[in-house]
Amino acid sequence: MRWWIEKIVEKIFAASGMITTVVILLIVIFLFKEGFGLFNSPVVEKGYALCVNAVNPVEHIGSTTIKKIYNSGIENWSEIGGFNEKIVPFRFDDIFGHYKEEEFGENYEKLPEKLGEVIAQTPGILAFIPEEYLPKGVEGVKILDGNTVRPEDFFLGQEWIPTSTPAPQFGVLPLILGTLWVSLIAILIATPLGMGVAIYLSELAQSRVRDILKPTVELLAGIPSVVYGFFGLVVLVPMVQKTFSLSVGETAFTGSVILAIMALPTIITVAEDAMRSTPRAMREASLALGATHWQTIYKVVIPYAISGISAAVVLGIGRAIGETMVALMVTGNAAIIPKTLFTPVRTIPATIAAELGEAPHGGVHYQALFVLGCVLFLITLVISISAELISKRQHNKGL
Amino acid sequence: MNIIETKDVNFYYGDFHALKGVSLDVAKNSVTAFIGPSGCGKSTFLRLMNRMNDLIPETRLTGKCLINGEDIYDKRIDVDVLRKKVGMVFQKPNPFPKTIFENIAYGLRVNGIKDKAFIQNRVEESLKSAALWEEVKDKLSRSAYDLSGGQQQRLCIARALAVKPDILLMDEPASALDPISTSKIEELIFTLKAEYTIVIVTHNMQQAARVSDTTGFFMLGELIEFSDTKKMFLNPSKEQTQNYITGRFG
Repeated sequence: MRWWIEKIVEKIFAASGMITTVVILLIVIFLFKEGFGLFNSPVVEKGYALCVNAVNPVEHIGSTTIKKIYNSGIENWSEIGGFNEKIVPFRFDDIFGHYKEEEFGENYEKLPEKLGEVIAQTPGILAFIPEEYLPKGVEGVKILDGNTVRPEDFFLGQEWIPTSTPAPQFGVLPLILGTLWVSLIAILIATPLGMGVAIYLSELAQSRVRDILKPTVELLAGIPSVVYGFFGLVVLVPMVQKTFSLSVGETAFTGSVILAIMALPTIITVAEDAMRSTPRAMREASLALGATHWQTIYKVVIPYAISGISAAVVLGIGRAIGETMVALMVTGNAAIIPKTLFTPVRTIPATIAAELGEAPHGGVHYQALFVLGCVLFLITLVISISAELISKRQHNKGL
Repeated sequence: MNIIETKDVNFYYGDFHALKGVSLDVAKNSVTAFIGPSGCGKSTFLRLMNRMNDLIPETRLTGKCLINGEDIYDKRIDVDVLRKKVGMVFQKPNPFPKTIFENIAYGLRVNGIKDKAFIQNRVEESLKSAALWEEVKDKLSRSAYDLSGGQQQRLCIARALAVKPDILLMDEPASALDPISTSKIEELIFTLKAEYTIVIVTHNMQQAARVSDTTGFFMLGELIEFSDTKKMFLNPSKEQTQNYITGRFG
């Protein structure tokens, strides 16, 4: 009887382990699957297409280029690898300037034909027209239907404007840099502070002080992030604005400070545990050789605990990079490449949280957000792996 | 000349009276062994001499403990300086997770010595004194954890010797080792006697008899008998000592 119960419990545990692993894997697969279609999706808005004159050798125009063309930033095809011909940007509405209303027929059935005429007559044209009026099969017209979102426009693009027409801009560089920037500053603030507290708690504090301080620090980890965000918005944002006389207080720095505070409990607890796990024999050996308390801390305790300490820092970075609510509330959400501490930035998680709700399911924007999710996942993966390698190397060479 | 003198030392862990009025003198360049059943206070007494017991909270000491005529519990005493003078080897080998070289150099470095050649020489010298040089001279940059238990313990001895202490305290240095390693440590103690004063705590009475000049027998916090080792083992003056060394208890 007992044997059976033990067997069953064993199986249940094994099954729950398997299920957890599979679920995690499935989530990752889902993330990549949803985002995967992005680079097969057309550059231009859904329901529209781009056409050029048949003599035009250009086959592909990236989203950033399209935006520049329509904003008159690029004026000649030769600038983007085509022939020497002035670019004539053409929007659908422009057709009504070429023909009278009645020439299109009662139900606009002649509209595609007329569009085709205009395109065929203008060698430098770049026409942005709805798919239903596409001049298919008209002589002298080339439809750019293989014009998909290119990785370089996505990863190196400097603008994130999902609502831009004719081509939405999905440049994730500002978002990636914004995320890294905010996390970097946060960790630069949190690591020394956290280490200080951890050293104090594990090496210097009397046990009575420790017994009060440690639970307090651990309590900080349990505060919901939206509360931190609130605090940041109401207290820190005006403070930063005033102190540095800025026009807005929602900056990378503001976000970093709050994220640092949020990462502190993790860093402190993990680092403190690691340092306390230094065997008494190690400390005694050091002290017995005439080393001072401080020498023992930085020459024995910290090197001994270094893998735990780096784990603490990595967990802190993970917390900062993935944190959504605070980033959304206090960083200002401007998708621009950060240049100073006090520029507003926008992080990847904040972008996903803010935009996924309004992105049509399965659309380009939706896919772009999922690819962003993949990017975030890969960033954290790289950080974890490198931390693992660092601590392993430390151990192998015996510090 | 007596390098260590203690007078009526009492030691308390909180309410527990661990040492009761211990008075004894240790001569320079001698080997003194402390024996006695577990919990008798012999390790506590040993750890008084480099103030290692300071690390344990809520302990208290009365009486006098002099080293080179100086009261080491005087307020003006710098504990770090004291510990340079009074080296210690622990029960279990406890090398640092560093290379063999760095383990030995540690004590020099924390004392502010930066001269590379000096450190190099001292490392070699210490390893030779600890009879470990021949075994490790080609792998000084390997981790200390690559050594066997006995080698690690000799490394710890070399580490203690590197700062040139006057006194070497050994807290059951061979209890975690196999018989061959143990005999190596004992031989070492014998040769080190020429330069150092050694105080050793041991569970092993044969070991005490083999290596020491003077033996102290502790029981329940009291120093029952303290005399010449030969006399102690051949003709103890107290009945309790007699009972202990003949194995009637403990």
